[in-house]
Amino acid sequence: MTVTFRLNGEDCRFHGDPMTPLVDILRQERFLTGTKAVCREGFCGACTVHVDDEAMPSCLKPVGLVQGCAVTTIEGLSSGNQAPHPLQANFEAADAVQCGMCFPGMVMSLSAFVRDNPHASRPEIKAAMVGNICRCTGYERIVDAVADCLDQARKAGQSVGGINV
Amino acid sequence: MAPSVERLFTAASTIEEALAARRQGAAVLAGGTWMMRDPRRGVDLPEAVVALHRIPALSKVEIEPDHIVIGAAVTHAVLGRALHGAAGFEGLVAAAEGAANPGIRRVATVGGNLCALDFAAADLAPVLLVCEATVELETFEGPKLLGISDFLKGRHTLLTKAIVTRIHLRRDLIASAHIRLPLRKAGDYPVAIVSLAVDKDKRCRIAVGSVEPVARRWTALEQAMEAGPACALDPERAAGLALEHNDFQGRDGKEAEGWYRRQVLPPLVKRGVAALLKTEGLA
Repeated sequence: MTVTFRLNGEDCRFHGDPMTPLVDILRQERFLTGTKAVCREGFCGACTVHVDDEAMPSCLKPVGLVQGCAVTTIEGLSSGNQAPHPLQANFEAADAVQCGMCFPGMVMSLSAFVRDNPHASRPEIKAAMVGNICRCTGYERIVDAVADCLDQARKAGQSVGGINV
Repeated sequence: MAPSVERLFTAASTIEEALAARRQGAAVLAGGTWMMRDPRRGVDLPEAVVALHRIPALSKVEIEPDHIVIGAAVTHAVLGRALHGAAGFEGLVAAAEGAANPGIRRVATVGGNLCALDFAAADLAPVLLVCEATVELETFEGPKLLGISDFLKGRHTLLTKAIVTRIHLRRDLIASAHIRLPLRKAGDYPVAIVSLAVDKDKRCRIAVGSVEPVARRWTALEQAMEAGPACALDPERAAGLALEHNDFQGRDGKEAEGWYRRQVLPPLVKRGVAALLKTEGLA
């Protein structure tokens, strides 16, 4: 079966088993290895990508279900030639990244969250990241960085990922 | 990546098309969060699947003054948003917004939650039991409506020749609550789930999930609570009755042993009644 979808803004065509997990196509066919295949059960969040702008685990997404959809991976959030996503910039500034295994998923989950919840409170930020497990347990700095990112955007009257805050 | 497999994959655009594929032996694929883990359980993925996500009628939540209809392909996230603020459905909203984690909730569907036969910890099953939901199926012989309790008991057989299409709810509740006990905040299945609802006749309905293999109403406790005084909705008293009328046989599982699942029920009932009393309908 052939499945076509948009991947980081470009057309992507896959020939093969439509029940192949999206994460395997991203990593093994497209070499987009920022998306991590860790638990493969939807528990850890390391494989999170955006499908039609919604953050979801790519390990449990059969590619047949993304026919006609727009998929964005961590590589598509901001290319090396552009300024990083504001959330990425805040993570860097706060030195929030530790081993890096969970981080692409963390960024993908939280970038959609800050876009949709510009006035989120700290407990709401924590609730949004319960599906992203950090084995380095660096949660508090991540929460700090997200809160700072939203705070800066509010003060500047700017948007985080498309929506004015 | 697994070697390429010749698999039949149908993205049905109508219920009729889905049913035709089902007749030919295709397994129903909803969000995929259960089926995609089959290989982890040592089970091969089905050779033929029919996906329901392109059937518009199955992705709608219709809210009417006296009833609500939920399409089987509605995700937990969409359900939670759609029913937010709907009086009496606080429990269903809590179940939809508390299950699994945010990423899974954007994918996992109502129908998938009810049709995953070996999934004892489905959050929507106990809460739909206290809502006394009706399940609409499209069978090989035509449409069929079935109470949720009968559906859950008979689904092994029913689903061999039917697809769940919609869930129907009467708006006869004044309050409801959904209490779950996971070992962590998220990422594991709840050890036990207690859903409670109070209807317009002030009758309390209680159901339990995750303790036994299939969720069921706690009729012994409901009857005991009904036999009490009118002010029976007292958390302490409810917990005492739950201890006295605990007729569950806990299932052993990797998250918890059966005795523990059974033992946590009275405190969960206490929390549930306390949550009910905080709802707008009973406050």
